[in-house]
Amino acid sequence: MFIYEKKLQYPVKIARPNPKLAKVIISQVGGPDGELGASMRYLNQRYSMPYDELKGLLTDIGTEELGHMEMVAAIIHQLTREMSSEEIIRSGLDTYFVDHTAGVYPTAASGFPWSAASMAVKGDVLADLNEDLAAEQKARVTYDNILRLSDDPDVTNVIRYLREREIVHYQRFGEGLRRAIDRMNEKNLYIVNPSFDRG
Amino acid sequence: MKNKFSAEERWRLGSLPDPAPLAAAYIPMQESAKPQYDAGKALSRGTLFPGLDLPFMNLVNPELERTPMTELMAIDFVVDELELYLDTHWEDREAFELYQTMLAMQKEAKERMVRLCGPICQTDQLGMDAYRWLNGPWPWELCERGEG
Repeated sequence: MFIYEKKLQYPVKIARPNPKLAKVIISQVGGPDGELGASMRYLNQRYSMPYDELKGLLTDIGTEELGHMEMVAAIIHQLTREMSSEEIIRSGLDTYFVDHTAGVYPTAASGFPWSAASMAVKGDVLADLNEDLAAEQKARVTYDNILRLSDDPDVTNVIRYLREREIVHYQRFGEGLRRAIDRMNEKNLYIVNPSFDRG
Repeated sequence: MKNKFSAEERWRLGSLPDPAPLAAAYIPMQESAKPQYDAGKALSRGTLFPGLDLPFMNLVNPELERTPMTELMAIDFVVDELELYLDTHWEDREAFELYQTMLAMQKEAKERMVRLCGPICQTDQLGMDAYRWLNGPWPWELCERGEG
């Protein structure tokens, strides 16, 4: 089960509100490659994993991603404080504001609400781990793109931290895949699905 | 590829099976938990391991200002990083022993933080004089605990 630690993994202290930046960074909360999707993917994939190390890895990384979701939400929360009507309109955040005011709603920057359609749980060791590798790369690219769009160091410091976590997760999922392959039939990795077939 | 790395840069490389069965993807295994950054640098870089420190456009964060909260965050972060490493390197005794050392430091740092600023987990309230869990600030708010 889950307990909550009343602290962030890395500090979020944004001195200057900026609704225009919030408009793009929201994708890392509820977009196709954002932290909500990452945590739901990993936490749901772990149930059909046959090996302890994969159950553990998916639990641990999935949990960390929930903490990251909290950090990105904190960024949005701090970027959208004290907005005048002019700033809301000028920033283009007006289309978000009308439905959510300064709340944090899990959506993509495009306005498309978070959807489980952006993640997969295939119930197969190799498919799921490869999905996870791809997911971490996509998240990393999204952070790269945010870094191109922001010049506020209070924001970019946090984004750099979150981006580096994706690279580390990629490495760990890759190692999980290596460990899984070691356990599987080296003459034919595809003879059965260890997530479903017994023996 | 091998010729681009000097002997001192071994920590940038990992091991691959040679030869390897076809039709599978292989990520090199990280070979060791060393070398590693100190806790403060690890937190600011987002990884304990220099080999995984691969910044976009080579732009890196400055180290964080030291406060009771960032000290705890740094220790917690090293613990988190070691847990993920041990998830795929559970036989690494050296890393496990380092993990034990960090857990002891974490316990102390957390207790200090709780005395200073109130509960971090609900159950930290054992022995407290009142229900302090609801007290602000909450982690997403601008003003951080441990910093006034």
